[in-house]
Amino acid sequence: MIRFGPGNLRIPRFEKPVYVVAGGVTDFRKRYPEKNTCQLCMEALRMAVEENDLKVEPEEFRRMVNWVVYSQFADHFGDQLLAAAKIHDYLGFDPLGNIEVKTGGATGGSAVLAAAQAVASGYATCVPVVGWERMDEVSTRVGNSYIASAACKDFESELGWMYAAYYALMAQRYQYENNVPHETLAKIAVKNHLYAYYSPFSQNPGKYTVEDVLKNDIVSDPLTFLECCVMSVGAAVLILADEETAARLTDQPIRLKAICGGSHTLRTADRRHMPILLLPHETEEMYKDYFRGRRTEWPGFSSFLASRMAAYLAYNMAGIRNPLEDFDLLETHDAFTISDVQTYEDIGLRPYGRGREFIESGDAYYEGRLPTNLSGGLIGTMHAVGATGIWQMVEILWQLQGKYDKFHGDPKMWERYGKKKPADWRSLQVKNARRGCAISHAGTGSHVTCAILEKP
Amino acid sequence: MDWPTTCLEVLNEDPLVVKNPKNWYHSHTYGGWGRFFKGLRECKLLATRCTNPACAEKRLWLPPRADCPDCWHPMEWVEAPQVGRIYTHSVVTYPGELFKLPPGTPLISVEIEGVCTKLMSWLKEGKPEFGMKVKAVFNTKRPTNTILDLAWVPA
Repeated sequence: MIRFGPGNLRIPRFEKPVYVVAGGVTDFRKRYPEKNTCQLCMEALRMAVEENDLKVEPEEFRRMVNWVVYSQFADHFGDQLLAAAKIHDYLGFDPLGNIEVKTGGATGGSAVLAAAQAVASGYATCVPVVGWERMDEVSTRVGNSYIASAACKDFESELGWMYAAYYALMAQRYQYENNVPHETLAKIAVKNHLYAYYSPFSQNPGKYTVEDVLKNDIVSDPLTFLECCVMSVGAAVLILADEETAARLTDQPIRLKAICGGSHTLRTADRRHMPILLLPHETEEMYKDYFRGRRTEWPGFSSFLASRMAAYLAYNMAGIRNPLEDFDLLETHDAFTISDVQTYEDIGLRPYGRGREFIESGDAYYEGRLPTNLSGGLIGTMHAVGATGIWQMVEILWQLQGKYDKFHGDPKMWERYGKKKPADWRSLQVKNARRGCAISHAGTGSHVTCAILEKP
Repeated sequence: MDWPTTCLEVLNEDPLVVKNPKNWYHSHTYGGWGRFFKGLRECKLLATRCTNPACAEKRLWLPPRADCPDCWHPMEWVEAPQVGRIYTHSVVTYPGELFKLPPGTPLISVEIEGVCTKLMSWLKEGKPEFGMKVKAVFNTKRPTNTILDLAWVPA
């Protein structure tokens, strides 16, 4: 069991406020041979600098940058060590200092965390965070094998060479303990494929029914293809700045109130039980009779301690009392439908064991209490791993700035990627959105970051 | 000097895409837990326990660790029980490249009494069910020298 000392649960603090001022992305595709990785990063940077209503010219912006953070999940995929150096040069940032961050699927979130630490400490005042992944150099089967090398190669990778299988083991246990109908999981897939339908950046949009999802081919039971994230090529850029720089750059700065990280064992097998770490709105009373019936321990295979830890720190850092009331929108790392339900509980949208209600009640939908993954998520829009956590925050930034329609609804944006805006396109702009949360997640919960963005 | 004789095959002309082959191996050491893998050849399921009398936990670890995560002391080898119960299971239909078993193999996590982990493994015979009693079997004929040399069958 993990016994926390007082230092372990210290709530992080930024010495200086941190702002998010601009974001940019490419579209996301399964295969993208038309552009190499350097070009994709340039494209996302250009969108961030040229299309976010910044008050300075691109050249002036470049003169303001003093540190850059790069984000790529797997050197295996790109087959280029020190790719960050190549991209840094290509983007014209030499000889500024830079750093590349790697924490699996949470690499994007961790990269933003590293950039925030630089701004919050005064080390830097203007920091682009550049993330990408190029997953199309190998076949899907080899790609899955590469991803599974992010499981323990001695004791777990061999058992499937497939991350969906490791999540399926958790899914089965979660369903055994909590009796969640597969239909509920399928609804998450239906929702996210649909929201992806309204995004010009999306790779796997579609209007599916619950039945389509249930009848779809099974990857590792119970998970079907439509319930699993896509494998993508693409890039995303988010620009962080201190207060003074943010004011020079934009009239709509968004405050990064908190971003915190948690971790747990790479091997799901090694997760020992412990008392539930309570969020600000939870009480011991809530879980007094919880460990009855089939659930006997926490976190077990049904909960992510890393997500709970990240949310615990970020909520306390940002003064969040109840996420369901305090957030206006949320981006989760919906790598698989099951991990989304687990996450709803870990970040406190429902008590443990009742995550299904968040989707079944309608809370998670556009115009629900807490619209979730309006971007289309990893299931519908993209999982170009190093870009993912960054892209989630770009989408939240645009929502908080009231720019969903500008980036998703302009027919020219669709044409840019060789697509046609659907005749039945609809706006998913959340009215009066003030505060958003983004969860970036790795492994079977090895690293998780929780970011809270807020309109000042 | 002549031009090189090895050339990259062109997969697509526009945009230009070439085939970049790789044919080599990694020599991977199991290091401090090699004894576990050698134990499988002798039908032994070897776990580790902390040797520090003051350690608060002293759990039995499987997968084994050479060092205790709770007090950082060295661990000692102990034979674990060869029976357990299925904690969770899934049949993998579309495994990734390198998987050495056929698609449709049931993967399982096994709960073993006295062991603080839930070892990931596979079911060699039968249909998996929650709580099902299983016993360990070992690949001694032609070991793969991987974790796949351990499997379970209904007990």
